[in-house]
Amino acid sequence: MKQARWCLLLAALMMLPTVAMAQPAKPAGGQPPAGGAAAPAAGGGDSIELDDPKPPTDTPPADTPPPDDGTKPAGTGGGGICEIDPSACPKQADLGKAAQRDVAAEVYAVQQIYFLRRGRFEIQPYWSFTLNDQFVNHPGPGLAVNYYLTNVLAIGINGTFYQPFNVEKEFNFQNRRASRVAVPLNEYQMNAAANFTYVPMYGKFAGFGQFIFSYDAYVVGGVGIARTKPIPVIDPDNRKFEFDNRLSFNVGLGFRIALNRWFAITTEIRDYIYVEQLEALTVAPTQDQQQNQSTWFGEKPLTNNIQAQLGVAVFLPFSWDYRLPR
Amino acid sequence: MKRWLTILASGAMALGTLAISNDAAAQEIQLTGPLAGAPAVRRLRHYREGRFELGAGMSATLLDEYRRTYFVTGRLQYNLFDWLGVGVFGGYGLIGLSTDLTDQIDSVSPRNSRTAVNVGPRGKFADQTARYTYMINPQLVFSPFRGKLAIFQKLFVDTDLYVHGGVAFVGLQERGDCGGPGKKPCSDPTTFGLESRTAVAPSFGLGLSLYTTNFISLAFEYRAFPFSWNRAGFDQRGGGNDAKFPDQRVDAEDRTFSFNQMFTLQAGFYLPTLPKTTD
Repeated sequence: MKQARWCLLLAALMMLPTVAMAQPAKPAGGQPPAGGAAAPAAGGGDSIELDDPKPPTDTPPADTPPPDDGTKPAGTGGGGICEIDPSACPKQADLGKAAQRDVAAEVYAVQQIYFLRRGRFEIQPYWSFTLNDQFVNHPGPGLAVNYYLTNVLAIGINGTFYQPFNVEKEFNFQNRRASRVAVPLNEYQMNAAANFTYVPMYGKFAGFGQFIFSYDAYVVGGVGIARTKPIPVIDPDNRKFEFDNRLSFNVGLGFRIALNRWFAITTEIRDYIYVEQLEALTVAPTQDQQQNQSTWFGEKPLTNNIQAQLGVAVFLPFSWDYRLPR
Repeated sequence: MKRWLTILASGAMALGTLAISNDAAAQEIQLTGPLAGAPAVRRLRHYREGRFELGAGMSATLLDEYRRTYFVTGRLQYNLFDWLGVGVFGGYGLIGLSTDLTDQIDSVSPRNSRTAVNVGPRGKFADQTARYTYMINPQLVFSPFRGKLAIFQKLFVDTDLYVHGGVAFVGLQERGDCGGPGKKPCSDPTTFGLESRTAVAPSFGLGLSLYTTNFISLAFEYRAFPFSWNRAGFDQRGGGNDAKFPDQRVDAEDRTFSFNQMFTLQAGFYLPTLPKTTD
């Protein structure tokens, strides 16, 4: 029992240093506030009151040189921040004007990150646009679902559906008619991929000086399948192609603007890299050979389908608890 | 002795407990603290306001059908405010590269009566495709968004996001007119040469600036400048009831609309070298 009392005393004494940490900085010069004008803040803390009238001090005449011992004269105001960074010390003349400003009810020395991703699902519907195919546009809707393992790393899947939206440009016809050169064309049905997402960059923007939104930039990469087929251009009378699977790798860059803690606008550039199957540029000489499917297929070039994706992101759950209070 | 020890321990424990709660409260800077009435941002750097910007960089055209062009670019701009600047963007088409389609046409296209008007001698098709020579683009730059970017949580840079709009004067070389009255027929090999003209087009886009120091920035910029031109030098229009068929002439009728685009990477230098800062 006696030992327990000593332990209690020791534990209590170890806590005492925290009292010193919680104490406000002393006024400049180590003097107590003259006149005792500063009222204690709510909660018992002795906050420094810059808004209070300047207390009467024994101010030396203007022609009196300041002491050369490095100490500041008492009553200069500003309190702790003036001691830490004199250049940031509020000017007495500005206080009246500054007091008229609208201020936030609370200001924290270190703000929490506004938009956290760790442990949340991201559901991202988007619309994609072709960026590098001059001959056939491949727009289409898509959906991505990601789960953030950490605040910067996610795993997920995405898929895009193109089939009803492929648009062959008039440019192909104009070019064929003028030069008698047919460009082999392909249309897409869909693609699907499993991806990793890494978020190395985040930041804030102040818009029009009125509102602040968070944004981040991410890189994404993965592997999946793409289903494509040639559009019969060289011999459309005999050739009819079916969609087939291609192994597809993808890399991309994305930019996400958070409008609140669970809703964001996203834009992404994604390069889907796969081996495409093109239509044969030559036509077999006989009717039987022309109808033989083995004569329909030509080159298999490595193809980059670069697309821009514009969408929105919904994060679930909608809210979270910070690990530490602010 | 035991009782005094108990009282002392209890008192110290209570004092310590109170101290712990005070410690948490002390992390907040309340309205009555030294930041009361202070502006939300101190020493805000106005990178643009009242400063000249000299920029230099490279641009690459996007989604070209027959020829890609790489520009050497420059920008001279004066920023009236932090959110509004006026200036000139310009570029010179330094490098032109043929696309795969151009090479295919050159090597595969049959040279016969059907293509004689459109495709020049073998090995020369790339020479008849149109190209950019220069661009002069007076513009307004509107920068509504400014902020910070953290990279790998180690590197922090100030940024702004801007949109720009103006009028682009684009120097072109495209196939000259032929086949009309008093002109050589377009099948004449000498008609495949290029002539210069200037196209006028709206220009608009957006960009992201990263301020690496007080007077140097790095900008990524997208620009669109749509207009009609005859990129391949083909006779494509002018005939038939609705002028959608070839007419054995190459002229302004054969220009087709193109949503021309480019991507620019540019370094900016600001004068004076120190930005204005708020209190």
